[in-house]
Amino acid sequence: MSQLSSKSGLKQGVIDGLPLLGGYIPVAISFGVIAVQAGFSTLEATLISIFIYAGASQFLLVAMVASGAPLWLAVCMTLLVNVRHVVYAPNLVPYLPQSKAWPYLMHGLTDQIFALAHTRLPLMDDAKKVDWFKGVSMVAWLSWIVGTALGGIAGDSLTQQWPILDSVMPFALPALFLVLLAPKFSSKLWSATLFVTMTAALFLALSAFKNAAIPLAALCGAITFYLLTSHVERKQSHAR
Amino acid sequence: MHVDIWIAIVVAAIGTYALRVVPLLWTQRHFNKHKANNTEARLPTWLSVLGPLMIAAMLGASLIPKAPSAASWIATAIGTVVTVLVWRKFKSLGLPVFCGVLSFGVAFGIALV
Repeated sequence: MSQLSSKSGLKQGVIDGLPLLGGYIPVAISFGVIAVQAGFSTLEATLISIFIYAGASQFLLVAMVASGAPLWLAVCMTLLVNVRHVVYAPNLVPYLPQSKAWPYLMHGLTDQIFALAHTRLPLMDDAKKVDWFKGVSMVAWLSWIVGTALGGIAGDSLTQQWPILDSVMPFALPALFLVLLAPKFSSKLWSATLFVTMTAALFLALSAFKNAAIPLAALCGAITFYLLTSHVERKQSHAR
Repeated sequence: MHVDIWIAIVVAAIGTYALRVVPLLWTQRHFNKHKANNTEARLPTWLSVLGPLMIAAMLGASLIPKAPSAASWIATAIGTVVTVLVWRKFKSLGLPVFCGVLSFGVAFGIALV
């Protein structure tokens, strides 16, 4: 992460947000297509993307509404899928300077923005952080909104004309997560913990627990971390 | 669209925002209290451990190709290796992602032929 340098916070944020486009736009187009197929208008699908702005849960909400599920259940399931977000902001607080803007900016705290902010903010001057967050989250939010609108208007023909958009561009997201996670493989303890978490998430996402894969995998990782830590502590106390 | 569906969407939007902002406000208040008392505030260990673990979990879940097939899995493996190698060389953000996506696309194209 070498080039956190002379650029303004906003410009740096916009640049850091660009890799997200490859992942956000194709998924947002898919959401637009599915929402319209489920009976929502393009405007309604776009409003959902503007105000809920949480990928997987939007798909779930639209699918449940379309299938005639009770609305209270659709809302509960949406919030249950999003409950993982509660651990994001507390992990960023140690790096956030005082500003009244942070509560408003939290609307943009998606999975990917959290991953970027958790890696980038500790390396940045305090004076640039609010603008950086505005830049990166604005790129992501706008791409999600524009992608949804495009999907609603011309999604099917877009993906048929440019199949690369649907099949290749989404690899930008795992590539981004990989780059953000790579510096954290700093010790045997963390390498083992992260590897277990990644593997658990992969298999859980392939199984019937797709929507719960991320929190369940993080739980597996936390158990691994505590088992390994206590094992090391026990070894050290035996050695004394 | 029925009014009750819109009410559900508004409740989901407010709830999702609350899940993002309430923990921020609570943690900031906790940190400010410690600051006022001249003591050092720390996140509970379990919470600070969960940060990197959530990123690792997102990585694992996002590695699954949209249409899983031998070609897309091979391309995923190649894209992953290229991303890591470019990151090791340049330690930057954009270039490894670009090279990863490019190699994924090339490998996917070749594997399909």
